[in-house]
Amino acid sequence: MKSEYRLGIDAGGTFTDFVLADKSGQVRLFKALSTPQDPTLAIRNGLALISEELGVPATEIIPGCDLCINGTTVGLNALIQHKGAKTGLICTAGHEDSLEIRLGHKEDGYRYDPEYPPATMLVPRYLRRGVSERVLSTGEVRTPLNEADVRAACELFLAEGVETVAISFVWSVLHPEHERRAGEIVREMMPGAILTLGSELYPQVREYTRTSTAVVNAYLAPIMKRYVDAVDAWFRSLGAKHPVRYYQSNGGLAIGQAMTDRSVYAINSGPASAPAAGQYVCEPFGKKDVITVDMGGTSFDITLTKDGSTNISKNIDFLRYRIGVPMIQVETLGAGGGSIGWIDEMGLMQMGPQSAGSDPGPACYGQGGTLPTVSDANLTLGYLNPEGLVGGRLPLDAGKARGAIEKALAEPLGMSVERAAYGMFTIVNANMVNGIRRVTVERGYDPRDFVLVGAGGATAAHITALADAMGIDTIVLPKLASGLCAFGQIISDVKYNYMATAPLRLESDAAYARIDELFGQIEAQGLEHLKADGFGGANTRVKRSLDMRYVGQVHECTVEIDTFKVDASSIGRIIEAFHKRHEQLYTYSEPHSVVEVVNLESTVYGLVDKPGRTVLPPGKGAASAIKAHRDAVFSADGARVKTPIYDGGRLGAGDSVAGPAVIEEVTTTIVVEPGWTAKLDASGSYLITRGAA
Amino acid sequence: MTKTTARKVEVDPITLSVVRGILETTQREMTLSLEKTARSSVFNLAHDYSTALFNHRPEMILQGQDIPIHLGSLIPAMKVVAKYFDGEIHEGDLIIHNDPAWGGSHAIDTCFYRPVFWQGRLKYWTVCKGHLTDVGGPVPAGYNPNAKEIYAECLRIPPVKVWDRGQPRKDVLNLLLTNMRARRDQEGDFNALIGACQVGERALLAMLEKYGEEQVDACIDMLLDMAEKQMRGLIAAVPDGSYEGMAILEDAGHGFGDFEIRAKVTIKGDSCHIAISSPPQIPYFINSYEGNSHSGVYLGLMMFAQLPPPYNEGLYRCVTVDFGPKGTICNAQEPAPHMNCTTTPMETLTDAVRLAFEKAVPSKVSASWGHANGLNIAGWDKRHDEEYVTMVLATIISGAGATPSQDGWHACGPECCFGALTSGDVELLEYSYPIIIHRYSLMEDSGGAGKFRGGSGTAWEVEPLNDDMTFITFGEGRRIPAVGAAGAASTITDTKVGRLELVKGGQSRTIRENVIEVIKPGDRITNMNPGGGGYGNPMERAVESVLSDVKNGLVSVRGAREDYGVIITDPATLAVDRDATESLRAKRRAVAAK
Repeated sequence: MKSEYRLGIDAGGTFTDFVLADKSGQVRLFKALSTPQDPTLAIRNGLALISEELGVPATEIIPGCDLCINGTTVGLNALIQHKGAKTGLICTAGHEDSLEIRLGHKEDGYRYDPEYPPATMLVPRYLRRGVSERVLSTGEVRTPLNEADVRAACELFLAEGVETVAISFVWSVLHPEHERRAGEIVREMMPGAILTLGSELYPQVREYTRTSTAVVNAYLAPIMKRYVDAVDAWFRSLGAKHPVRYYQSNGGLAIGQAMTDRSVYAINSGPASAPAAGQYVCEPFGKKDVITVDMGGTSFDITLTKDGSTNISKNIDFLRYRIGVPMIQVETLGAGGGSIGWIDEMGLMQMGPQSAGSDPGPACYGQGGTLPTVSDANLTLGYLNPEGLVGGRLPLDAGKARGAIEKALAEPLGMSVERAAYGMFTIVNANMVNGIRRVTVERGYDPRDFVLVGAGGATAAHITALADAMGIDTIVLPKLASGLCAFGQIISDVKYNYMATAPLRLESDAAYARIDELFGQIEAQGLEHLKADGFGGANTRVKRSLDMRYVGQVHECTVEIDTFKVDASSIGRIIEAFHKRHEQLYTYSEPHSVVEVVNLESTVYGLVDKPGRTVLPPGKGAASAIKAHRDAVFSADGARVKTPIYDGGRLGAGDSVAGPAVIEEVTTTIVVEPGWTAKLDASGSYLITRGAA
Repeated sequence: MTKTTARKVEVDPITLSVVRGILETTQREMTLSLEKTARSSVFNLAHDYSTALFNHRPEMILQGQDIPIHLGSLIPAMKVVAKYFDGEIHEGDLIIHNDPAWGGSHAIDTCFYRPVFWQGRLKYWTVCKGHLTDVGGPVPAGYNPNAKEIYAECLRIPPVKVWDRGQPRKDVLNLLLTNMRARRDQEGDFNALIGACQVGERALLAMLEKYGEEQVDACIDMLLDMAEKQMRGLIAAVPDGSYEGMAILEDAGHGFGDFEIRAKVTIKGDSCHIAISSPPQIPYFINSYEGNSHSGVYLGLMMFAQLPPPYNEGLYRCVTVDFGPKGTICNAQEPAPHMNCTTTPMETLTDAVRLAFEKAVPSKVSASWGHANGLNIAGWDKRHDEEYVTMVLATIISGAGATPSQDGWHACGPECCFGALTSGDVELLEYSYPIIIHRYSLMEDSGGAGKFRGGSGTAWEVEPLNDDMTFITFGEGRRIPAVGAAGAASTITDTKVGRLELVKGGQSRTIRENVIEVIKPGDRITNMNPGGGGYGNPMERAVESVLSDVKNGLVSVRGAREDYGVIITDPATLAVDRDATESLRAKRRAVAAK
């Protein structure tokens, strides 16, 4: 990093985290309350905090930044609250309802629930207008585009005050001309509207996915545009030398224009930087297979990286809307510090997904919460400091925590408060373990082959127990855990996904040539885009993947390949990689069956240089950092054990702490289970391993 | 009274929650594996498959979230299979089975049973069942409306080992596959089903390894007992007595006339007895053998119980079912043809049970969902020079019934699947089969009228791409609309029932029977599905809700007047004559009160 500073700003539900790295390798973490009504306000407040701490005005810090990066929840919140812009859809006549039919499915888990409502339509039926046109599965035009139908739709949209328009036709991926022409008409008749074309945004087979993705994009685009314009203007006014970069759900950076054109890429950007951060903190230990877990107040996010490449989701339901574009696979559970313990209809203890949130919050916050939460359990078990969190700024009430657990759980189940609290701890951990299975076992990976990295404020109390339950031997827990996602943003690269569709059976030279040609085309587009962003030559990188299957299957496996020429001599490598992946995922392969490609994708990266690493001074032995002892619980019988409490700030590089122990950092509390050892590394992370030091 | 299983080991309540989570996760992993690997679009697009876990006894210890119609029927089927091979079940075996006379549902649903051994002993069964695209017989895809006997429907497979102690029995597999069309697809689906059984096995063994056999056994027994207790609690809250429900099974072209199916639900304390009576079986493919009929009854029971997952066999311990004498439509015996049974008569049977519960607990009721009436298609795919055959589940997506708190979901049925299906993307279907789907949409005036409206049915219009196509129709619900609840009734009914519109050689006609026909490129067949039943008196539906439906094309101006008593004076502005509306509604309410 050549400039003075780099700034990452990550807006979360409760706090907006600011991470400022400087030339020396020092990384500072700041937190400001999030302001969902006006997200730019939290940014201003945070910058004020930073100025105060550094004694340098923002007008000097910002021009000194090579990158200012913003991960925003603006799009996410608009989707959650259904507060997007008024949207119209132009589609193939006869297919106006694919958005509402939603493949005819009701989500699992609600099969017999008479009160579970249908998904709210982002475009009501009267604004979904069919036009006469049809392309066939062969790519041939069956019915040419009827332009008068498009004009009639625009007239309705104008009369109804539609602000943003999505166009999505059946098989437009094989013949995009109809969508393009319809788009020209919309631009001509509705010059003020934002336009999204399905075949440009998500050029892949699956009409419902493409239409839904285009609609979500159109719905959010005006909201994102207003936000990006405001943030860009604010940073320009502070003298920023470079455009603000925004964080995308694909784990990469993008400039503001891209966020408006491809707003759907912004919807789950918050946790998407976790894999980058996880890899970075594991690098000093030579570990490349990483599961990052992030436990906050209400949710628990899991991501996975294997051999440096991160699990990606495509074609998934996100907040009940089908989204096609690649996103970092984030498995989110309702398991956080605020998750509530309760007894279900069968009489079993359950944890979450209901959360006490930050208002009223856990019982121990003393803000009126009366239901027992994970934080209450952790306090009762002796893990959290009763004098309070964040260096005493958030005081905790141990009596209220016990009372809540006793009333809701211990009494009805006929057990001691300690046993009930340990039960809460165990069950929330089991929920998280089942979640981790979804990103590992379901993806064909054995979790025991991975390192577990902790992010988020609440994770550190659970992470050793999680690793223990999953048979994982190694944990990396950065001192900066509670701001790790914001940190992940400042070490991420610029990243854009380019896709093409090519339903081809891999049995002819013509098919190989077509695949090679398409990769060439989309990569040329991608590199052009990067060039406009200021990246070229050695500063760019391309990664390829193919969605493949056996002929007759309809779901594909994504297979990553290197960038080589695809032809008769190299195709065997691709097919072999597919068989291998299929077997890994589903216990078998069919080496004699014909394989076909459906979609292909190239990801282009503009490489950003990384800030220097922190180097901690060597420690003087862990014993000198013991500041107290508490009686803590580490077993199902609820027995209390006298446990040393370490002050993380007084530990240095090389200091080693044997469990059972608790290490208190300013923004997180680490529980080291019996049989585990935590050793602070010079890079600023604890390496926690099974066994004695 | 709860028939608590004697337990030697004390169950740790925390481990209990953990074990339940593992069982659910295991079933989920099996389901995902099946969905991702299967060839048949009926599996991979439509989710017409189910997975379940059994203990060694064998009791179902986890029923998936999947298609309701499959799962009740796995309980008797598993018992029949285990009994048949009693004493001869070995580690590494794998059993296939599809036959209804051996506890199966309908023979196109083919089941694989994997015994899971732990330290040399049988501990569990992982079971996967799925709707194959073809199991042989005279008519592609198995639905043969002309069959007079089960022998004329498809290949019957009683319990047969396809793997013996880890060794695939190639000759047996070859015998089975040789009798099926589109062999490549069937073979791929066998692999997918077997793979999913193995995925389940892997997870169950890991659970035993981690938590120990004694503790896991105790937890599973406890989960069964707790489910029993839960169902008993629900039933105890129903006043003692006998309640009867009757639903009409319409004549879909067989010529034997309409039939009445009756359910008598008797509640005594915390147990429930359900007695079914149905007319003698007929030489037509709508007879249901006992295994399948269990599913129909259990679905009616779940519409009352409305329980969240997970489910296990303990739920049904306090429920006894009597299907009456053998040789009837709901208790068929050989040689009754049966292929249509999972929808017809199953949905009518479910309605009868549901209506009995509606009398028992009027406050806890949902209207009936649209019944299945759909298409199977078959022909030659010139693009790849190969045969194709499939049931098109996109053609059976009907409307859901309304509930006491909301309108029915659009496009979520049919009743026998209860939202578990997915209909498959239009482009994926056109890629897989040589067809053009001209329309897949909701339908005006199709949802049953009510204070809460039934969900809209769907229309699916298809044309063959470049060669002749055979279509076979099945199901019913083409004359009698989905039954409403709590006084709901529609005035316009012709748009609320299923039917087919055929345009062939330039001539149009409406089809309401089950037929086999061949059409050519240029011809079109549109399958229309019924909407769901409404809830409550439609004259009490808010005028604004009616207008919103009109604006969105779900209710016509005529429908607003006739079904809801709302008089729209200007279709362009949706202006309403409030006075005329109020007096019409008052008049109609008065009629309803009589």
